Amino acid sequence: MKKIVIAVLATLSGLVLLFSYRTSLDQSISTAASTPAGGSPASADSTPAATPSASTPSSRASTPKAKAKPKSGLKDGTYTGQAVDTVYGPVEVQIRVSGGKITAASAPQYPQGSPRDQEINAQAIPMLITETTQASSSNIDMISGATYTSEGYIQSLQSALDQAK
Amino acid sequence: MTRIRHTRIAHLMGTVFSVHVICAPDRGRLPDDVDAAIDRAFADLADMERVFSPFRADSDISRLRDGRARLGHLDPRLAEVEMACRDLALSSAGRFSGWRDGWFDPTGYVKGWATEQAARSHLAGLIGLDGVLAVGINAGGDIQAFTAPDADWTWRIGIADPRRPGSILATVELRDGAVATSGLAERGAHIVDPRTGATTVDVVGATVVSDRLTDADAWATVAVVAGSDLSWVADAPVRSGLLVGADGTVRRFADGIEIATADAFTTGPVAAAA
Repeated sequence: MKKIVIAVLATLSGLVLLFSYRTSLDQSISTAASTPAGGSPASADSTPAATPSASTPSSRASTPKAKAKPKSGLKDGTYTGQAVDTVYGPVEVQIRVSGGKITAASAPQYPQGSPRDQEINAQAIPMLITETTQASSSNIDMISGATYTSEGYIQSLQSALDQAK
Repeated sequence: MTRIRHTRIAHLMGTVFSVHVICAPDRGRLPDDVDAAIDRAFADLADMERVFSPFRADSDISRLRDGRARLGHLDPRLAEVEMACRDLALSSAGRFSGWRDGWFDPTGYVKGWATEQAARSHLAGLIGLDGVLAVGINAGGDIQAFTAPDADWTWRIGIADPRRPGSILATVELRDGAVATSGLAERGAHIVDPRTGATTVDVVGATVVSDRLTDADAWATVAVVAGSDLSWVADAPVRSGLLVGADGTVRRFADGIEIATADAFTTGPVAAAA
């Protein structure tokens, strides 16, 4: 194994580019660029409450947007995902789409019955909400690895996204 | 490029299953057979849960465990799974086992296997229907996907970051194949090394891409048990994958060898441990 790794390292520069851009081996896994929570294109905090699509909070709003139809294909509006039962209770997600982008996401219904529920939500729900914008902007179709509350959240998010499409 | 996406959800085997059908936009509505096929897939999975659930006193697996019936007198799928678990124990050099504390307990095998069976029996055939581009099933994070050969469609799978719940660590694109992830993150340490009986701690998440979900699911568990030892990837029926160590180290492999990344190169000899 070690030898193979060294051999790989020897041809590293070419190989890294190859895998990074998936030019030839489309099944290999490319590590996602680590976007810090605050740096996502449309963070959940900056909501253009009154003004419609014209004032997208992103600084990239000045790029030719008028003629281009929103890449995500999402229609503006507020959508509530189907409530999904998890072992910890039901999870339901609501998103707001403005200018074709998700500008806000929340979990109006989520388990909070027991201290254990609250602990899980404190860990999972807020961070998942941050993830919503990433999941949308990178067009994720399905999630591998999530379980329980995360899975419920993802499913509910998925159904909200489906309504917006 | 807009697509019509039809999603159905079912609660099975202690988790959430979802089926996603992707259709061309010029089709005004889904073919009638789609929902019927999804119904059959979910019914099939419910039936397999009835046979294999160790949490149901009347399941075939519980009756075998309690000595109320012998293998030859139970659902024939039990014997099929038992054989597969024996093969897997051999090919994984003992890193996988369908037995725990002396009892036959194939729960680490059944979900991926059952999902693939149901997907191939009931969902794969939807690809031939007019307007259907792709079909995928997600069994609580373990995925099998099919895509029509001429379709302009590729599944984009997000891999959850086991150390940051709710964040996506990586993505993988595939048209036909399976992605499965095993890990310790949300349910805590629960995977035992059958060779030692010790709980595994080195790898907190392992994702495996394979042709078949049965393989992806089983070998993702093997990957967690193997920990920092990546020697198994050379001979395993897997395409590629990713490991997340307890210290946050991410390692990737494809085509039977470990892939060094730009990060590994700039931050130190991460890959040398093998």
